[in-house]
Formats: sequence, C-alpha cells, structure tokens
Amino acid sequence: MSIKTELLLILQYFKINLKTAIEYRANFIIQAGAMVLNNCMWIVFWWIFMNKFESLNGWDLNGIFQLYAVLMVSWGLASMFFGKKGYIAQSIAEGKLDFHLSLPKNVMLHLLHGKASWLGAGDFFFGLMIAILIYPFSAVPLYSVLVLCGVVIFASIAIIAGSLAFFFKNAHETSRTMLHSMVIFGFYPLDIFHGASKIILLTLLPAGFVASVPAMLLQEFNWPWFLALIGATFTFAAIATIVFYIGLKRYESGNMMNVRV
Amino acid sequence: MTITKYFHIAKISMRNVFAYKADVFAHSLFIGLIIFIFINLWQVIFIDPNNAIEGFTLTMMIWYLVLTESIVTSFGRLVEDMGNEIQSGEIATKLTKPYNYLLFQYSQNISKSLFRFTTTFIVGALLTLYFVGPLNFSLTSIPFIIISVLAAITLHFCLMALISTSIFWLEEAKAIDFLYSKIVFIIGGMFFPLEIFPDWLASISAKLPFSYIAYFPAKLFVSFSLNDFFKVFLTQLFWIAVIITLNYVMYKFIISKVQIHGG
Repeated sequence: MSIKTELLLILQYFKINLKTAIEYRANFIIQAGAMVLNNCMWIVFWWIFMNKFESLNGWDLNGIFQLYAVLMVSWGLASMFFGKKGYIAQSIAEGKLDFHLSLPKNVMLHLLHGKASWLGAGDFFFGLMIAILIYPFSAVPLYSVLVLCGVVIFASIAIIAGSLAFFFKNAHETSRTMLHSMVIFGFYPLDIFHGASKIILLTLLPAGFVASVPAMLLQEFNWPWFLALIGATFTFAAIATIVFYIGLKRYESGNMMNVRV
Repeated sequence: MTITKYFHIAKISMRNVFAYKADVFAHSLFIGLIIFIFINLWQVIFIDPNNAIEGFTLTMMIWYLVLTESIVTSFGRLVEDMGNEIQSGEIATKLTKPYNYLLFQYSQNISKSLFRFTTTFIVGALLTLYFVGPLNFSLTSIPFIIISVLAAITLHFCLMALISTSIFWLEEAKAIDFLYSKIVFIIGGMFFPLEIFPDWLASISAKLPFSYIAYFPAKLFVSFSLNDFFKVFLTQLFWIAVIITLNYVMYKFIISKVQIHGG
C-alpha cells in the first residue's frame, strides 16, 4: 500500500463526504456557522480576561490569537479528513472493524477517514481567518508544516485512545475524553502550567505540541523546539501504529448487525 | 396519580444512571481537568493568594468555579439529545404517550443531572482542597444554597428545552448545543464571576437568565447573605416561570404542525 494511493483514497473520501454535506446545504452552513460563532465566544472569553489582567505569563491577546490560529486549523482539518477519530473505540466495541478488515486498504487509516465531521469546517475557517489576519505571507510554509504536525498528532492520539477498546470494555467515553482534553488544554498557553503537568502536556497528552509550541515557533523560530515538534509527531504516529496493530491481534468480531450508510 | 408517574420515570432514570456509572465518572473526571486548568490559570493571576481581586480570593475563585461547572455541566448534552429525538422523529413516539413531553424529559433527566452534579462537585472539591484549600462558609447557608442550585438546574433545563425547539426549523442539534453552552459558559459567568467583566457587559449579563444558572448561585456559595439569597431565588423563580410559559407556547405551536400516523 503506497503513500500515494493512501493519500488518493483520503482525498476521494473527502470529496464524497463533501458532496454529501453540500447536498444538505443549509445543514452544512448551520453547522459550520455555529462552530465559528462558538469559537468567537472563546475569543470573547479571552477578551474579557485580558481586558482585566492584560497578560498571562507573557501571553497577551495577540498570543492567544496565534494559539487559536494553529489549534483550530489543525483540529478542523483532523475533523474534516479523519472524522471518525472520536469513534474508533465505539467501532471496535461494536464489531465495525469487520468491514475494514475485509478490504485491501490500510485498516488503521481507512478506519480514521471513513467520515467527515463538518463541525470541523467551522473550526477550520475560524482558525484560517485568524491566521490570515495575523500572519504575513512569508509565514505560510512554516505555518503549513506546523498545522500538518498538529493534524498527525491529533490523529495519532485518537488512534491510541480508541485502541484502548481492544484492551478494555467501555473505552468509548474514556477515549473521547482523552481526545477532547487535548483540545481543551490546547486552548490555554503552556506557560500557565508548571512541573509535572507541563511535562504531561508535552508527553502523555501532547496538547502543548498542537498549540503552544507551534504558536511560539511562529512568534520566534528556534531549531530545538522545531525538531522536538517534528520528533514528537513521528513518535506519536509510530506509537499509534504499534498500539493499534497490537490491539488488532486481539480483535474479535461480534454478532451485531451493522448497516453502513 | 398524574404526578406520580413522573416520579417513577425519575426513579427508573436514576437506576439507569447507576447501571452506567462509568460514563458519569468519565464526565466528572473531564470537568476535573477543566478545574485543574483554571487552578493553574488563577494561580498565575493571584500572585499573592491572600489578596482579593474584585472581592474574590484565589480560594473563593476556584470554589466558585467548582460550583458553576457542577451546575452547568450537570445535564450533559441535553439539547443535542432532545434535538436528535426531533431530527430522527423519535419524538413522535413520545408525543403519543399519556404524559407531558417536557415533564417527561425533566423527570428523566433531573435524576441523571443531580447524580452528575454530585460526582462533579466531589471531584472538583477534592482537587480544590488539594491544590488550594477549603472555603470558609457557614453551615447554615447550605440549605439555601441547595435550594438555589436546584432552581438553577431547573432554569437550565427550561432554557435547554426552549433552545431545542429551534431544531424543528434548523435541523442541527449538535451545533446549537455547542452555541448555547458557550453562551452560558461566558455570559452566564461560569468561568469567572461578573465582577471580572467590563461594567457594561456585567450589567447586561446580570439581567439575563444565564447568570442565574451559574454566577448568582455560585456567588451565594462563596459569599452568602440571606438578603441576596431571597433576591436570587425569587429572580430564578421569575425566569423559570417566563421560560416555562415560552416553552408551553412554542411546543403547542410545534405540536399543532406535527402529524403522527399509526402503523
């Protein structure tokens, strides 16, 4: 299975999902629009906070915008291209892997990108709007690399969290909590955390690598942190692959009838 | 008896909650994470924990957050759940039953909500006790705070039921749920008290029902006065009456448009 064919498959799924979404145009616009408004409320939150306190360990409102510009675009793209990332544990528990196992495609990736979450479109557009407003054109190459790293890290954590279902019953809520925690922690600058919690946010739950570190690199590039981010991206992708395929050996199909729509 | 059936619905719902305890605990742990983030955030702001900002010490601020989080997140994704019933048409099976749909939803969800509130409050309290310490409050204020919290939870439900009627037209439950929850989080004063807001925004928020879900009950909790309790509780009752009336009108209008066919 070559990378090129896998990427083509991702693109095909995206096109089909987009065509389906546009068929229900009003619904798509409401979903995306509501998420943009939802994200604007977070900006209101930070505006109220910074209006009172001016800065948070060196992070001002502009710094928060930079955080959101990276985080929202990464999360939005991960939601649109890997829409099933929050449902891996559920799919495993309900025996829905059978469909993917019977096809000549990479099971792990096929499981991830079978669906698109169009709420992510709102996050993507919101983050992109902020990025266009605050970053110069010259930042596009670095910004693109950092966002791509964010997408891969989100997908990797989703796979690791979802793969808990191979080992434990009822892992669905736990895996969704892990994934959403990444986003929630990403909303806040890494510098408000210290000690063990900061280490956790750069290792077990790498929220720092999807938001604060990229924002920091875009403010002031430095090679150690950039290489750390690249290293983290590859490491999490490798761990996700290993954990998923070890878990897959334990997978047993169930008797549940499933309808693929 | 007409009312007894709703009590039995609530009882069955509570039994279901105990059957799926793990889900509720996972939710409470997640809220615990939010509280942990805010403990870190406020510890950065309160350089001296004994100094007060707008009348709130660090301890009061975190305990304030514990109560607001426990109240606001107690219903989970109720708007989305009710919206999904509307979108899927499952509401039709409930409308033909011999009970009031809204009272049924309230009975079914209030027991889950109270359980979730309790577990979230316990998790938040343990975290706060560990990182920040106990809150100074009078034991005699507890019954009044409980009454205000119950009124806040009921008001929260009434607003969620009203918001979910929009799904009959918009046909999108999840997004509306997100939007409503953010309005309560921010304008309702869940994350920080209205004293932190600019004056003009605080004044608007104080007049809206959202602040009676989060800010006012939590303010009573960290800084109780009997006078304030009566003002808050009476205003909560006022908003509950208004929203219930709006719900009654909206559902009567919607149900008149719904056609249910047997078979």
